Amino acid sequence: MTAIAVGPGPAQRSALARARAWIANPWGRARFLVIISWAYAISSILPVIIAIQFSFNSGRSVSAWQGFSLTRWYWGDPTNSVWHDPTLQSALFQSLKLAGLDMAIATPLGVMLALGLARWRGYGSGASNFLMLFPLVTPEIVMGVSLYLVFLYLFTFIHPSTAAQVLGHVTFSLSYVVVIIRGRLFSIGRQYEEAAADLGATPWETLRLVLLPLLMPAIFSSLMIVFAISIDDFVISQWLSCGGACDTIPIRIYSATRGAPLPSVNALAAIMVYFTLAALVSAYFLFRYLTRGERPAAGHGGATSMVGDMGAF
Amino acid sequence: MVTRANGDVELQELVKAYGPVRAVDNINLHIPAGEFFSLLGSSGCGKTTTLRMIAGFEKPTHGKILLDGVDMTETPPHKRHVNTVFQSYALFPHLHVFDNVAFGLRRAKVEESEVKRRVAEALELVQLTGFEKRKPVQMSGGQQQRVALARALVLKPAVLLLDEPLGALDAKLRKQLQIELKTLQEQVGITFIYVTHDQEEALTMSDRIAVMSHGKVEQVAPPQQMYEEPATVFVADFLGVSNLMPAEARGDDGRGRCRVKLDSFDLLAGRGNSSASGATKVTIRPERVRLEAHGSTGENRIPAMVERWVYLGNSVQLIVRLATGQVIQVLIQNSGDEIPFVQGTPVQAYFPAEALRVLIDTDAGAPPAKEPTAKGAAA
Repeated sequence: MTAIAVGPGPAQRSALARARAWIANPWGRARFLVIISWAYAISSILPVIIAIQFSFNSGRSVSAWQGFSLTRWYWGDPTNSVWHDPTLQSALFQSLKLAGLDMAIATPLGVMLALGLARWRGYGSGASNFLMLFPLVTPEIVMGVSLYLVFLYLFTFIHPSTAAQVLGHVTFSLSYVVVIIRGRLFSIGRQYEEAAADLGATPWETLRLVLLPLLMPAIFSSLMIVFAISIDDFVISQWLSCGGACDTIPIRIYSATRGAPLPSVNALAAIMVYFTLAALVSAYFLFRYLTRGERPAAGHGGATSMVGDMGAF
Repeated sequence: MVTRANGDVELQELVKAYGPVRAVDNINLHIPAGEFFSLLGSSGCGKTTTLRMIAGFEKPTHGKILLDGVDMTETPPHKRHVNTVFQSYALFPHLHVFDNVAFGLRRAKVEESEVKRRVAEALELVQLTGFEKRKPVQMSGGQQQRVALARALVLKPAVLLLDEPLGALDAKLRKQLQIELKTLQEQVGITFIYVTHDQEEALTMSDRIAVMSHGKVEQVAPPQQMYEEPATVFVADFLGVSNLMPAEARGDDGRGRCRVKLDSFDLLAGRGNSSASGATKVTIRPERVRLEAHGSTGENRIPAMVERWVYLGNSVQLIVRLATGQVIQVLIQNSGDEIPFVQGTPVQAYFPAEALRVLIDTDAGAPPAKEPTAKGAAA
């Protein structure tokens, strides 16, 4: 009987070897990937959670925890809370106003641009495609300064103001919308348009009845992403700002940290987070409700991610 | 102007070029109304491009497309009175079956009560009554295909274009739907132009077939004629098994048959151009080859050896190596009798002259066959 050579049994492997085997297990769950993902997620979200935590601080410090107070900085404090401080409120409204206008203008324009670019088969299509991607790769400071100079020397009828800020936001949001919509258009393919034309639909009817309904998930994604980048924008908003009245939340937070920041600033930022979360969650459920007919019956198909569902990719 | 029946399609000198490449190279076809016409060929032969040009999704580089005598080359697809069933069905995923089928009718501004009636009629035609509220994603491939068919037929087009509609279905369903489609076409009476790469499908369903290769039409004929009398080597090889053998043609033998020399064997081919001469190919269908006991005599007999015996259920396929070195396939129907030719048996392969065909080899650039001379004249 021949002896079969075996490796060291489980108890005999060193602790290091066992730890490696547990992490790099090729047959079971990819523990290594899971660990990395969780570490990344936690390191990204932890600062945000700490900032939100301090918005509930009972004292005036943004770094030393002095106890829990639910409402002091939101509406409790008579001079410094968000509810009572006019500068913080105007920043909040300005941010929301810009984001709203940006969504309302950039999304339809971006959809039309994406459709045009996708169907353009003549001269200039390559150049337009390339130019349209420029804002995505241009550093924000370059965009901000250029826009400022353009409004200063070229389009002098536009002064630094909300209008200028809106124009700036729309300019760089367009690229994001076009990229998302074009991706979705590409994955839809031409078959539905051809089928609609074959059945007698004019190009306008095809757009209205077939393309736009199918693009809805991507349009939703674009709205959410435009909202997010507009709220987040600092450089362009600051360069095109007219002073106090045009300040957005990032600008307000930046100036506050220069002086003596209060937790009311944390509260302001936290309100933005709540807003964004609420918008995303409601958009997601709305989307799932609207497309309930497009998913195979329960049991078919694998897990889908939220982003994948939105049809952005 | 000649008035033609409803659904008459004519393609005149149709060319589609993508730069230097000609996907469709000078096609001339006339499809009379009510015919089930197939475009048959392998991938890349230009059949789908031709269909798309008839539908209006591609613009021809050159040439004309006429429907009932009217030139519609410049008409956009939504104005042409033809409808298409796509390979991927292209059912609108956000609409349920009723809205999908009603789509075309509503674009034509048909009154809603009429829409309801015609949709119900169309769904009954494809045996899908009761599926009105289903969404495409909730149905099987065969059901989706039928909805696509209903959606096209409800508009009562002059011509229906089908782009490999059965490609995505399993074999049994495909066979069933082939018969259903053929019955449907006979029932409705409109012209069907059917694109496929499956020669069995084309043979089963068509009134006439056009075999295409590299953008050109090789032959247009009814299925039986196409199979029994292929005009070129490509057509013979594409449809069924052809048992092509290179041979040297030596002209007419005086009785309407062509003398061919296969290696060292002299044979007589009763089909094809009897005055052909030079390098050609001869072909015989596997079911026409007769195997006889070794040593039998007579014309057109070649000694051979059975190499392999394949049982196909309803028939037996024998792979036979001739004394010339060629390997051919022989098909013997399973009639219940014992087949005495097992693997390794030496036999005599008999090619009946009336089944042996001499072909023009378009690929090899063989010299063109001479015009048939008067009967009795020696070649």
